[in-house]
Amino acid sequence: MEKLLEKAKKVCDKAELYSNEYIYNPVSFKNARLHDIDSTIQSGISLRIIKEGKLGFAYTRNLANREELLQNALDSLKGGVEANYTFPLTKKIPQLNTYEPSLKKLSGREMVEECARVCDYLKSKTDGVILLTAFSYIENIRIINSEGTDISGKNTLYSIYGAIKYPGSGTGIWRVSKSKQFERMHDSIIKEMIELYTSSSKVVPPKSGKMKVLFMPNSMLALNWRISSGTSSKSIYEKISPITDKIGKKIFDEKVTIYDDPLNDTYPGARAFDDEGVACKPLTIIENGILKGFYYDLNYAEKLNAKPTGHGYRTTRWGGDSTTLKPVPTLTHMRIKPGNKSLAELVKLIDTGIIVEGALGAHSGNIPNGDYSVGISPGFYVENSEIVGRVKDAMVAGNIYETFKHVIGISDTLYPCFWGWLPAILFDNVTVATK
Amino acid sequence: MFDKLRAILNKIDADYADIRYEIKKDVTITFNGKELTQIGSNSTDGYVVRVLNGGGMSSAVFTKETDADKAVRTAVENAQLIAKNLEKPIRLAKVEVVKDTYVPVLKEDPRKISILEKLELVRKYNDIPLAYEKIATTSITYQEVIREKYFISTEGSEIREDLVTTRVAGEITAKDGTLLENVRVRAGGSNGFSTVRNQEENFEKRTALALDLLKAEPVVGGVYNCILNQSLAGVFAHEAFGHYSEADIIETLPSMREKMRIGNKLGSDVINIIDNPTIPDQLGFYKYDDEGVKAHPTQLMKEGVLTGRLHSRRTAAEFGEPISGHCVAEDYRYAPIIRMGTIFIEPSTHSFEELLTMLGDGLYILDAKGGQTSGENFTFGAQCGYIVKNGKVDAMVRDINITGNLYRTLNDIVAVGNDLTLSKVGGCGKGQMNIRSCHGSAHILVKNVVIGGA
Repeated sequence: MEKLLEKAKKVCDKAELYSNEYIYNPVSFKNARLHDIDSTIQSGISLRIIKEGKLGFAYTRNLANREELLQNALDSLKGGVEANYTFPLTKKIPQLNTYEPSLKKLSGREMVEECARVCDYLKSKTDGVILLTAFSYIENIRIINSEGTDISGKNTLYSIYGAIKYPGSGTGIWRVSKSKQFERMHDSIIKEMIELYTSSSKVVPPKSGKMKVLFMPNSMLALNWRISSGTSSKSIYEKISPITDKIGKKIFDEKVTIYDDPLNDTYPGARAFDDEGVACKPLTIIENGILKGFYYDLNYAEKLNAKPTGHGYRTTRWGGDSTTLKPVPTLTHMRIKPGNKSLAELVKLIDTGIIVEGALGAHSGNIPNGDYSVGISPGFYVENSEIVGRVKDAMVAGNIYETFKHVIGISDTLYPCFWGWLPAILFDNVTVATK
Repeated sequence: MFDKLRAILNKIDADYADIRYEIKKDVTITFNGKELTQIGSNSTDGYVVRVLNGGGMSSAVFTKETDADKAVRTAVENAQLIAKNLEKPIRLAKVEVVKDTYVPVLKEDPRKISILEKLELVRKYNDIPLAYEKIATTSITYQEVIREKYFISTEGSEIREDLVTTRVAGEITAKDGTLLENVRVRAGGSNGFSTVRNQEENFEKRTALALDLLKAEPVVGGVYNCILNQSLAGVFAHEAFGHYSEADIIETLPSMREKMRIGNKLGSDVINIIDNPTIPDQLGFYKYDDEGVKAHPTQLMKEGVLTGRLHSRRTAAEFGEPISGHCVAEDYRYAPIIRMGTIFIEPSTHSFEELLTMLGDGLYILDAKGGQTSGENFTFGAQCGYIVKNGKVDAMVRDINITGNLYRTLNDIVAVGNDLTLSKVGGCGKGQMNIRSCHGSAHILVKNVVIGGA
């Protein structure tokens, strides 16, 4: 990599190399039986160069041909993509405990045994179809640039996903656990899945209209996607965020505090620097309902005359192959501050309402505007603080800038979600449509 | 190349093994608003090895040639571990051994067109919406993906096939006050650069739609009889029905398997669905899948009765059904899984006007905008809709999401039109992305559709 950086520096003003190597070993059980064990060993290098304010970008899998990679980057300069920013000189980065060496030794057999244990237990307590996937993921990232930055980080992630699907339907109750090292799936999580599954086996027709709706962590994606769209510097720059001029103003209920927490290494996936070498730090987005700030990568920070916040990640909304992607502003470690009510206490606050356990179509609809309209799959109908059954063919719809003004309560626990750790939130006045 | 792959294959001690090596070349050009945000060409490569050993099957993916031995060892060990834990050994359906090279005939080879010419074409399209005051931004991407595939198996197959995919696709965002409306625009295909030329009118029309949506009222949530246009009905065929025709999805869901038994009557008499990857010049075309199996047209539903299913070699043996050639990977980073090729609701005889008359009062809803399913339940966004009164198309409505149950909806299809259209741009994400996933339909009339309003 150093040789390539030297070559690149000779022909352009600034250069940066990002390398990523990972080993991914998944084991999956379907219908409570072992189905697949696979393995991926992948590496990649991507090169960004800046010359006369223009960007060149290219990537490869192997450094077999340095000239070709550099030539591809030089060719892409010709397009004239603007880049008026400079790569950072990052010397001091927080020391994080993100790597647990024991994960390297975790064998397929051990993951198979753990999945089998969880499977057998779920099978003994329910009549559902059981699915499980466990995987180990070990990643090395290194960034070097022409300003003198040379930083690297290692991450380990062990994850297990368990689902109990209602017979005859693809929908069901699922939970994910994530940790830096191998951990048995906690009994409390397994019990919660079984309880929810058991209390919702009967299908009931819900009422439609405006009512209390509890978004469970699994369905929060429908809402947090719109929050991260509205607060992204990219949306601000493109003038498609409805809250561009609302800094310092109250936009949500005062119970809502949203922040990004990359340095907290009690969670797996903590990061000391983003994918362009900017040191990470915590960032408050919304505090007690008041909009505090937006998140930036190098590019949009320069365009908006702001400071980069360490949110340049090589990814897309659905994840992606980091080597092949350019950094974009991404809220990767989103948290919503937990409240003081247990899930059971939140359910007690519902006279008539819906619990949205899973949301279908979180990615559909007018995301920049904050609109959501999602299928409830699955969801539970609540009457007089009791789950009376499962709902079918129903949707919840609204706009997050309205919905988040009507927060009744927030759960006291955070759960691993797509792009962060989030609580369950009970809202009032959400529209439910049914057949 | 085959000699190199054979050398790796010869080292594998197993009942069956195959290796797929691919060179993937891609070109991406992206505009966000006026600004060009990405341009470049890249070439990457990698290997996928699959092993069947003692009744267990496993795959390993690697990108460095020096990792070949480690990857092979891991795959063999994992196959053995699976074999030990299975009650019933995995078998592969017998297929013809193929030695063939297939390179598609292109109407303009994108490799022969300079990246600057491509850039100017995309810039020209991107400028069309941006000329309007109320267009806040655009996100338009040209993407070209060329997969040069080499497949070799211990049974003796040696297949070289190229897949060339081009597209211009993205979103146009209109804004009025705080109201934002997104409209998707797309063009492309599998038979050359000509598929993305002459799209000016397409961009004009989609821009006009984005602007019109600013003036449209949100739809009132409720239950409606609806006409779905070809794009939306195609997404229904793909998302709600098609995925349950994929044997690997239902294989381990016993009650789904029962419901999806060949011969079961699942839909109304008017509905016929086929998956045919062999239709030339369509987005979903391929000759061989990534297990080296020749693609076959597969009738999935005839007059509402389930007649066929999409298979890999493993599931064809498991189900005891004919092989279909539908086991496809995104690229060298993945082992293949069962995918739809070109799935569509076959056209009938009704004109669009006849469908409107049959509908009377209801909604005409158009163009998919995201869709997802969970078991038999589905939710799709629609780009826009129109209120239909007394068989006449009336005011435009926005913010339409539909939700429903697959089997009920299949039975609620009242009539199928005569105007089949297939999609030009694909993006099915079933664990891996399939950019050649092609679907289509004629207009269809469906009763009792749940619409979630804002």
